[in-house]
Amino acid sequence: MLSPYGLDIIESCFTCKLRADRIFCDLPAAALQSFEAIKYATAYPKGAVLFVEGQAPRGVFVLCKGRVKLSISSSDGKTLILKIAEAGEVLGLSATVSGKPYELTAETIDPCQVNFVKREDFLRFLREHSDACFRVAEQLSEKYNSACHEIRSLGLSHSAAEKLAKLLLEWSSKNGEAQKQEPRLKLALTHEEIAQMIGTSRETVTRLFAELRKRQIVQAKGSTLLIRNKAALRALASS
Amino acid sequence: MGRREVQASRFAVTRVTARRLGMRYSLPMASSSQPSCFRCELRPDRVFCDLPAEALQAFDTIKTVTPYARGTTLFQEGRQPRGVFVLCDGRAKLSICSEHGKRLMLRVAGPGEVLGLSSTLSGRPHEVTAEILDTCQVVFVKRRELLKFLREHREACLQVVHLLSGDLHSAYERVRSIGLSRTRRSRTQVRTARA
Repeated sequence: MLSPYGLDIIESCFTCKLRADRIFCDLPAAALQSFEAIKYATAYPKGAVLFVEGQAPRGVFVLCKGRVKLSISSSDGKTLILKIAEAGEVLGLSATVSGKPYELTAETIDPCQVNFVKREDFLRFLREHSDACFRVAEQLSEKYNSACHEIRSLGLSHSAAEKLAKLLLEWSSKNGEAQKQEPRLKLALTHEEIAQMIGTSRETVTRLFAELRKRQIVQAKGSTLLIRNKAALRALASS
Repeated sequence: MGRREVQASRFAVTRVTARRLGMRYSLPMASSSQPSCFRCELRPDRVFCDLPAEALQAFDTIKTVTPYARGTTLFQEGRQPRGVFVLCDGRAKLSICSEHGKRLMLRVAGPGEVLGLSSTLSGRPHEVTAEILDTCQVVFVKRRELLKFLREHREACLQVVHLLSGDLHSAYERVRSIGLSRTRRSRTQVRTARA
């Protein structure tokens, strides 16, 4: 079926091929059946806002395809990106469970397919299906771990160079590039967004990248980054 | 002072110290001797502990109650999780540490809180270090037994989901206060405004 943004919309979770790999979606048949009944499959363009921090929780968003940027911002307009959520994650979970306002802003950075579930339906679903409840607990644990990780990198790092080096090493360890001598990674974010991830300014990020290139630690080809000297990057990350 | 008097005073000293030591060691047990969760008076106020009778019975069989001295480390970051710790009374300090030994205090956990929950559930190494602040009684549950317990008791699983959501909220608050206020002054302002 031809659809906008080149997404093939998966209408039913039963026919979803990706389900087996996902932490939350891989539910037993009975739970999946009742999940089918309460979910709304929707597609969002790039740059759509799923929810805003401070908003009363409407429900959870299960990300089927695409990526979503999770950020917090201060009253004077500063933004900090906490995480880029990948397909398979459940967004707005803690706010929906606790009933407190959303604490993050979620914005799509690709065209996305999202399954939305209303708050009352979701809470009832959790009470009725203990397997789903267990999955939710696992998802929350993962999120808590990554929040602690963020606190560590923000609160205990000395310099922006250290934080950038850590971020690049983290990215290079994904997608099976970890074992390679010179890992290659695709920079999906702009300098501005990288700055927001490590809590510094766009100018600093650009300057740091220029320095890394000059010292032959990284090599840039378009949006692809080749890490040529992993040891030097590691030394920078633990300086 | 005669020899006998000196000896007598020495005895007195040892007797007093012995009594004090005895007091100190018996304190945790004396203040709250609650081997069974059924007899705990504090249970109705606690988010996690207030379980239905059937779940509580199962919890009673898998838990071990231990008194811990002040300053004991319950778990350290980077270590593999063995299980969860429930604080019956007293407080614990949660902190994270950099490779250079710089330490950042996250928060102080109060009575009734469950510690090490997220790493125990996900099976990843601990993210924080927990250290006991008051000499108190702590309930320990092994990882495998906890997972089995949560699968069998839906209510307990829901409580755990609630607890984790609360933890996550406070973690995000902390990220906001650290990441978005650059100067030390504005950080303290945020803290005082909230208090």
